[in-house]
Amino acid sequence: MTATTPRPDTHADDQGSSGAASTDDPRVRLDRDLGVFEPVPPYPPRTEREAEFYTLGDGEMFINMGPQHPSTHGVLRIVLKLDGEKVVDLDPVLGYLHRGVEKLCENADYHHVISQVDPLEYVSSLFNEWSPVMAFEKLLDVEVPRRAQYIRVLTAELNRIASHALFLGWMALDLGGLTPILWSFIERDEIVDMLAAVTGQRMLFNYFRIGGVNGDLNHDFMSRLGDWMSHATEQIEAGNTLLNENEIFVRRMRGLGTIDTETALRMCFSGPNLRATGVPFDVRRAHPYSVYPELDFDIPTRSEGDCLARYLLRMDEVRQSLRIIDQCLHEMPDGPVMAKLPRLIRPRPGRAYAAVEGPRGQYATYAISDGTHQPFRMRIHDPSFIHLQAVGVMTPGNLIADTMAVMASLDPIMGGVDK
Amino acid sequence: MTFIPGLGIAKGMALTLRRVFEPKVTIKYPEVRLDVPPRFRGRLQLLYDEWGTLKCETCFQCAQACPIECIDMGGIDTRGRYHVHWGAPEQYDERREESALRRSGRPVPDPAFRPFAPIDLAAVDAVLDEYDHDPARMLAILEATQSAYGYLPVAALKRISHRTGAWYAMIYGTASFYAHLRFEPAAAAEQADAVARHRPAETTYLATLGAALDGSGRPGAAART
Amino acid sequence: MTVIGRGWDRLTLPGKVVFTIVPLLIALTVGLVVAIVAFGGPLLDILGANLPIVRFVVAVTLVLLMTVPTAFLIIYMEMKGIALMNLRIGPDRVGPFGSLLSVVHGLKVLMKEDFTPTGADPVVFTWAPVVVYLASVMTLLVIPFAPGLYGADLNIGLLYFFAIGGLSVVGLLMAGWASYNKYSLLGGLRSAAQVVSYEIPLTLSVVGLLLLAGTMSLNTLVENQGGWFTNWYIFQQPLGALIFFIAATAEANRTPFDLTEADSEIVAGFATEYSGMRFGFFFFAEYVNVFIMSALTVTLFFGGWNAPFPWPWPIALSLDPASFGIGLLFIAGLAPVVLTLLFATPFFVLSSRIRWWQALIAGFVLANLFIIAMLGAWAYIGLDWVAGILWFMLKTYVFVFIFVWMRGTLPRVRIDQLMDFAWKWLLPASLLNLFVTAAAIVVIRS
Repeated sequence: MTATTPRPDTHADDQGSSGAASTDDPRVRLDRDLGVFEPVPPYPPRTEREAEFYTLGDGEMFINMGPQHPSTHGVLRIVLKLDGEKVVDLDPVLGYLHRGVEKLCENADYHHVISQVDPLEYVSSLFNEWSPVMAFEKLLDVEVPRRAQYIRVLTAELNRIASHALFLGWMALDLGGLTPILWSFIERDEIVDMLAAVTGQRMLFNYFRIGGVNGDLNHDFMSRLGDWMSHATEQIEAGNTLLNENEIFVRRMRGLGTIDTETALRMCFSGPNLRATGVPFDVRRAHPYSVYPELDFDIPTRSEGDCLARYLLRMDEVRQSLRIIDQCLHEMPDGPVMAKLPRLIRPRPGRAYAAVEGPRGQYATYAISDGTHQPFRMRIHDPSFIHLQAVGVMTPGNLIADTMAVMASLDPIMGGVDK
Repeated sequence: MTFIPGLGIAKGMALTLRRVFEPKVTIKYPEVRLDVPPRFRGRLQLLYDEWGTLKCETCFQCAQACPIECIDMGGIDTRGRYHVHWGAPEQYDERREESALRRSGRPVPDPAFRPFAPIDLAAVDAVLDEYDHDPARMLAILEATQSAYGYLPVAALKRISHRTGAWYAMIYGTASFYAHLRFEPAAAAEQADAVARHRPAETTYLATLGAALDGSGRPGAAART
Repeated sequence: MTVIGRGWDRLTLPGKVVFTIVPLLIALTVGLVVAIVAFGGPLLDILGANLPIVRFVVAVTLVLLMTVPTAFLIIYMEMKGIALMNLRIGPDRVGPFGSLLSVVHGLKVLMKEDFTPTGADPVVFTWAPVVVYLASVMTLLVIPFAPGLYGADLNIGLLYFFAIGGLSVVGLLMAGWASYNKYSLLGGLRSAAQVVSYEIPLTLSVVGLLLLAGTMSLNTLVENQGGWFTNWYIFQQPLGALIFFIAATAEANRTPFDLTEADSEIVAGFATEYSGMRFGFFFFAEYVNVFIMSALTVTLFFGGWNAPFPWPWPIALSLDPASFGIGLLFIAGLAPVVLTLLFATPFFVLSSRIRWWQALIAGFVLANLFIIAMLGAWAYIGLDWVAGILWFMLKTYVFVFIFVWMRGTLPRVRIDQLMDFAWKWLLPASLLNLFVTAAAIVVIRS
């Protein structure tokens, strides 16, 4: 059906006309619109933008990409307005993965918050834990032991490599390359196995604690890490060999989804996506936390701001993470891994903000305490949500295939977007 | 990107061909199983100790600590009523005695077990009827129960949990949070006040101990005056 | 009657099917036997009088039958090949090294529910897979598998090939349109644009070759390439061969030109709404297409069924089994025993840990292998079509592997780059190839 205007409620008007057929009768609906799900919402437009978007021009059509599309990185639904293969406009529809994590955190003990925020960006859980834990430590004014700090940096950088490995694989898969995703998973699996040795879990680690970490590094972890360091990022490099010089890949990615520094800053970009536009902003250097000031590493930047730059930048970051891991292993002090804290925490009333540099950008938590054992308010700043808004700027004018490439290069995780 | 067209593709093709002959990483799952890491926490199980008794004491601490509230020690019976699944009272008693024996070397009578002795529940039921079995008004229910019995018998708390559907752990938490609710009869409470009068001496002792240990005592021990 | 009715009701569904079919089969067999006895002689006469028609019917049947195992084999090659490139093991459960997995897939496809979506045009929707499949299968008819082993020797064989091969796009368009799904529609339109664009370089790239050969009959083309491998047309038309292979990849909808079923963009393209055996037809057609394109590349540029070195076929073997007389029985009876003992002896002598019966088993297996190898060698030397089909399949599957290899390595191109590549690069290059070839022919022959 050609939806020129938003469809009114389909079942409101046939109460009187057909006496026998009730509105619950499935046949009524099937005859009405052939059972095809149109992306046009069943209510009148609420905003001007909605009215403009859901009005089709000449030769245009809507297409629903998601929530069950093979490559929307989770359950994102994008309504594309197409002119042939060309994307004229698009409207991301969020909220399919909303769990109300922030509200759940406000009803949980301070310690319980860690496991609540774990599944937000589920490919890099340690960063999810790090920022609330840091915020609570600021609320409590606790000093984290240095060994715990180093362990946090070490495990988190491992997790960053795992996350970027997955990024490489998904990106290639969205462009039709079958192989790099499996090589990436080999790399990720080794890292995840060693993290499981120290944290107990493979995906939602639940490892950082307020005032330290859950357990010290153990022999299993160290031997696995040693094994891995002997061939670290071998699979990622292999994936790079497949993609970096591949003419098909480079031609598709170069100049696609370009975003300039102004726009990126205006949209509150952070992380690799911002650094790909030439801004050397990294929370680890801009607002140093933990033991990062003592570690020696570079902030790679690129100036193009296109999909290729974002991809190459992440690969550069992997190398920097390896440097950090090396230094952590050499400089790790002995000592306790947990500050001495009571089991039930009641911080003084106050507010605290803590940001960490996740694999996707600035990952921050703002917590308010009212003196009870639960945070009074807690808000989470998630970079994926910020970056997703750029899809609407980058994609129109390109083709359907480019939608996937742009999405992949921004690397959003819907668990963090919908929270 | 090189200047020779197709060189990148050729490199990639060479790499994939070499990979055909490299060792494979697949784990043949049903035959080969990976070890679960020793720190794995995802397996819920009831453990038995070396004497063959169940380690669980039905203390509800795990239910209270579970962040996603997935642990519960109760269930709905066939008539739709909620029951708390208590451990067997004998075993509970026995276990408490055992652990006390192990810690102190002599049997300690457990006052916490006494309230399981039957009480007249009619008063609780009347209170519950008055408050419409509403778990949201738990504090009022508890206060009314205390005024009816003079204290909060554990059997009464059990009854409240049973009838309102609220967790025993939560009721106990509420009751133990408020200072004016007590679990022993008033005489015992007066005795507790007498103990509290000796509290300054204990604080002084702890402060002295902390000074002797060069400040490395429990944090907050000195502040607890 | 009620008894029969009640008994019938008690039967399960397979029981009902068997009870219906078995009497029918018996009646049919009896009828056939009677018919053959009664009319067998005249029928044979009629068949003998129309030998070309009989030959054609048999060829079509055989080619149709051949497509299924071919598709199974290529699907298995793809699953296993890509798995090995991915550092996986791949299929390893059904059959030796998982080789029967594709067969199981085929059975699964047969048993799945085959539904038509609401809003689809049922007639077009149903016939689209058939059109696609038949268009693929019909092109197989003109391919010479071996000397004397071909469906039809048309003197416009190549033209027929391109004409029928282009039909498959009609089927894809039908599928895309009739599915009542926008993803299908996009897939169908993409395939139309792609196949139409790549038809042109595909056809133009072989025109140079046709100028050289002076014929369009595939049989003659292959015969022209006999002798040493330097006679193959790849050495006279390298650019043409490259363009042909690239365009053939696009024609077969394979990576990196598999835009019609780009799963990350338009779910499954034209096949989105298909399930069951209708999807199976698309699936088979794709892999049969891979085989056909490889076969055609081999036929045109790599010498077809010719071995890479000259071999004076056929060698008349001077061994006439009839000359042994009754001794043949002795030879046939004794040879396995003697060979088994012969092959078992070294095992038994060399290691004391091998028991006598183990040695015998090993000897028996080896003797059988030896006999099979001898028979194969005899067939290879004595029968030219055995040797021809061997070389043909060997070369073809090398190209099938290259298709698989590309799928394991390359990402997908974008639709506008695909079009640019066809019109701005392949078409001028094929024209250049044609021009240079024509000029060279004129210069050399004059």
